[in-house]
Amino acid sequence: MFEEKLKEFEPIFYPKSIAVVGASATSIKTGSVWVEDLRSAGFPGLIYPVGFSGGRIGNLEILPNLRLIPGEVDYVIVAVPRQSALDLLDDCVAKNVKAVHFFTAGFSEMDTQQGRKLEEQMLEKARQGNVRIIGPNCIGVYCPEHKIPFVMGILGETGSVGFISQSGGIATKLVTIGMTRHINYSKGVSFGNGIDLDASDFLQYLAADSKTKMIGAYLEGTRDGIRLFNTMKQAARTKPLVVWKGGRTEAGAQAAMSHTGSLASSAAIWSGMLKQTGAIEVHSLEELTDTLLIFQELGRGQGTRVAIIGGLADGGGGNSVAAGDACMENGLEIPPLSFDARQGLSKLLGEVGGIMCNPVDVSQAQFRGLATLFQAIDLVVRDTISDIVLIQEDTDILLRVYSRKGLEEINGFLIELARRQDKPIIVVLPPGSIEAERLQIERPLLAASIPVFCSMERAAKAIYRLNQYSCWREAN
Amino acid sequence: MVTSQNLLTEVESKELLRKAGIPVVEAKLARSKKEAISISRETGFPVVLKISSPDVVHKSDSGGVKLGLTNAAQVGKAYSQIMSSITQAHPEARIDGVSVQTMAPPGVEVIVGMSKDPQFGPVLMFGLGGILVEVLKDVSFRIVPVTERDAREMIKEIKGYPVLQGYRGQKPASIPALEQLIVKVSQFIENNPRIKELDLNPIFAYPDKAVAVDARIILE
Repeated sequence: MFEEKLKEFEPIFYPKSIAVVGASATSIKTGSVWVEDLRSAGFPGLIYPVGFSGGRIGNLEILPNLRLIPGEVDYVIVAVPRQSALDLLDDCVAKNVKAVHFFTAGFSEMDTQQGRKLEEQMLEKARQGNVRIIGPNCIGVYCPEHKIPFVMGILGETGSVGFISQSGGIATKLVTIGMTRHINYSKGVSFGNGIDLDASDFLQYLAADSKTKMIGAYLEGTRDGIRLFNTMKQAARTKPLVVWKGGRTEAGAQAAMSHTGSLASSAAIWSGMLKQTGAIEVHSLEELTDTLLIFQELGRGQGTRVAIIGGLADGGGGNSVAAGDACMENGLEIPPLSFDARQGLSKLLGEVGGIMCNPVDVSQAQFRGLATLFQAIDLVVRDTISDIVLIQEDTDILLRVYSRKGLEEINGFLIELARRQDKPIIVVLPPGSIEAERLQIERPLLAASIPVFCSMERAAKAIYRLNQYSCWREAN
Repeated sequence: MVTSQNLLTEVESKELLRKAGIPVVEAKLARSKKEAISISRETGFPVVLKISSPDVVHKSDSGGVKLGLTNAAQVGKAYSQIMSSITQAHPEARIDGVSVQTMAPPGVEVIVGMSKDPQFGPVLMFGLGGILVEVLKDVSFRIVPVTERDAREMIKEIKGYPVLQGYRGQKPASIPALEQLIVKVSQFIENNPRIKELDLNPIFAYPDKAVAVDARIILE
């Protein structure tokens, strides 16, 4: 499906050459920043800075005009004022450029007649000259595999998550959050006003791209709702599609005569539309990244029965109760452990002070050594009553009871346990008084593909959504 | 602005819906008291009388609806009452007469409607009738065309769904009948792009069927 997009978008995500218009040797111009970013990221293709002032950036000569570039140009990044946009498009057409990305803002997003008119003229020129436009008012393409960073040189590892975003700020947050939480992207794009290439085009490309296994999207609106609807329907059938719709305007509700018309809010219609397509709707950046993380690590849902292990050193009681509530409220089940597992736990941990049902409080293990703790965790994981195991850790308590070395051993055990059997293990590691240590402890878990969440609510929501999608796929 | 050109009367709306295979409680127009009584006798008592005017949108708010009329005398009296309330509330309104229809036995009240979204075109809405739809906005939307599966999901999605499953001794409503009705409305909308808004409100849902008791169509 959408295979034709692969060839068409090759020069956009894997350009052999990029020209940056608006570069200068002397002043700090956005264009110069793009050139530096590409250079320091190690972009493997040719880079051509273009700017009227001349001079050099490093060993690259700044050419005064795009047309003077000696070789072919696949992709052009434009960071010059909007007044030059039309002339620049003429240059792009003359140079047979494949795609041009306008970082330049000041168009229809300003809600001015002038801005809209200019966009219409740009689109007409581009269509006639067979050049595709990304933007305007956007930060364009991100492709770590081909060493194309986001502006300011933001570049994470290569992975399997694709994304599209109408907003550059949110696109950048997706990447930076991904860098700490180990969500790694195949490629992404911020397309701003989307006057030519829009959400549907990029979704079609990502759906066809074999390196992209799931897609995240931040959208505010669409110029062609029916096309987006049909594209999403097809895309969600090929890979998980997670959508966050921003901007809860009430555009649909004006001047309605019917009950239906007066109730038809934009948010309610988007929600219904997304359900119809099989996309997974989320409502915040946190939910979007949480959902992408769990899809990246677990691929598909195996069931919603969870076993919760808390109190790895102490503080298990209330947290376990709260964890149970969070899971139940978000559609998960917490079945009691089997009789055998409960008996085994009693033998290991003693009869008093622990909770052996589910959630399980293993705090008594602190008096019996790590080997006992590991046996207890192993026992719970092996119990067939659950499809997934959630482990609550607390940096403040664990560091005080077990020290850094002990905590590393515990997480080393969890990594090894996750590898040697099929049941997914998820760690919940909430913030406390020592955030830097918490992040250090989290990193190896994430690197070993164990999803880590800041709270039980967030973990539970992500697990639920993973399973929701898997159920939907099975039924379709 | 609603004018006679774009607001269809209940009788006109139901006739269109009936032809499209959507179950409605058929309504006939009576232009006089005498006609109202003779139609009532044909239809069979009890009957409902409603004002029929292209200028009256909220019929019951201005005394334009009389329910549960069990004989000719009651129908005659109701006719006069409706005419005087409406001429008082809407002196300028053009009046066709009253619509006469069988009083449907009580069922679970639901609403199915359509409006046009600037981004996605026609969308269908489903919800429970009465306070749940107005105060709690407990409704679900889907874009036309709506498949059977979409219809099933939009019914199950509302918070009030347990009410349809039978609540406190009330008989459950037929979910397949509601699904069928929603899908047929979707097809009706696809075939009639001039329709701007539509309300089937209420629909009475029964254990074996679902019937639109009132209907309103607004054209572009």
